[in-house]
Amino acid sequence: MYTFFTIVRRDLLIAFRNRYELINPLMFFIMVIVLFPLAIGSDRQMLQPLTAGMIWVTALLASTLSLEAIFRSDFEDGSIEQFTLANYPLVGLVLAKVFAHWLITGVPLILVALLVGGFLALNDAALFCLLLTLLLGTPILSLIGAIAVALTIGLRGGMLLSLLILPLYMPVLIFAMLAMNNASDGLSIAAELYFLAGILVLALTLSPIATAAALRIRLS
Amino acid sequence: MATIEVNKLACSRRDNILFEDICFEVSDGELLQVDGINGSGKSTMLRIIAGLTEPSEGTVLWNSQSIIECRNEYQQQMSYLGHSNGVKDALTVSENLAVMQALSGRENHADIDTILKTIGLPGMHDVMLGKMSAGQKRRTGLTRLLINQSHLWLLDEPFTSLDTDGKNIIEDLIVKHCQNGGIVIFATHQEMDIEGHSVRHIHLGKGND
Repeated sequence: MYTFFTIVRRDLLIAFRNRYELINPLMFFIMVIVLFPLAIGSDRQMLQPLTAGMIWVTALLASTLSLEAIFRSDFEDGSIEQFTLANYPLVGLVLAKVFAHWLITGVPLILVALLVGGFLALNDAALFCLLLTLLLGTPILSLIGAIAVALTIGLRGGMLLSLLILPLYMPVLIFAMLAMNNASDGLSIAAELYFLAGILVLALTLSPIATAAALRIRLS
Repeated sequence: MATIEVNKLACSRRDNILFEDICFEVSDGELLQVDGINGSGKSTMLRIIAGLTEPSEGTVLWNSQSIIECRNEYQQQMSYLGHSNGVKDALTVSENLAVMQALSGRENHADIDTILKTIGLPGMHDVMLGKMSAGQKRRTGLTRLLINQSHLWLLDEPFTSLDTDGKNIIEDLIVKHCQNGGIVIFATHQEMDIEGHSVRHIHLGKGND
């Protein structure tokens, strides 16, 4: 576990020292969310049913923006080679990097999303549901994204990454939105949360293995 | 006794044969220099020996066992330093060394002060790598050899960016490692004059011996 947390600490330090990587996705998220009321109108009745969808779609796009940062600089400066040759399983190192990425991008996004949700007239039940779906959903975005980044790292063309991952993000978006709709109708959200938790467990167990394999392929 | 053995190694890229039918064996205390012109496949060969790249043909054996089959054991015994240093500009020297120590998997960590003194960077613990020269970064990358304490060193152009003092330090490290029974395989296109130890050569691109 010492190696795992050393890598997490390393990535947090690097992100803290290159703050633009931390702030860029958040700024994108806030700017897009602010544009919606300007375009649709500030009528609460009209905004309320759209807020959850706006927040989730924007969070998804903001998360896509920050994905490349997981491995890009490590690939360029030879750190990935050293990770591959380390006396620690590459799968564990990948998991540490994805966890750090979630702490750097996912957690701030959740906090800002809750703040924005509050401003955009989400009620308490919907805000609580938003928190739960984002807590379960954002790690899945990082885990699935890591596979695609590992496959495309060093290749030109950012569109390839988006094309690869956006279809894979769909189940997360669908279940999160079903939960949000149920919450605003006062219905139970347990089933959707179980599905999201199931996808999270699946991603947590399989994604680091796939990512590690993809990194080895990219290096060879 | 540890041995690294290369059997009928071949590598081709897009129908272009980089090298083929390369065979050699390196044992404890031996120093092997892979030389050849740019593009002759020196780096590729070292990457293949490190297990980073798969050869088109042939095998690499560590103590008569394929490096793919004994990957964990092999990686514990081997350190590789490529063209890139594998260090982060946004971290200080000691933070970078802490990461190297964690990746080495060793519980008895080597003393950082001693390592920095040996490599010619005394008292530079808290200097950010981003503010260092290319040569100093290279030296920081080379500290990996002292931290990992591996038996086999694979070094790709280890003297790049180093000044005369730096070159002498690394040459001394290489010679001492071989004298202590270690194995070093390094690639360079420069004419090297390593004193204190005999050097075997493999020439790529114009036949090999």
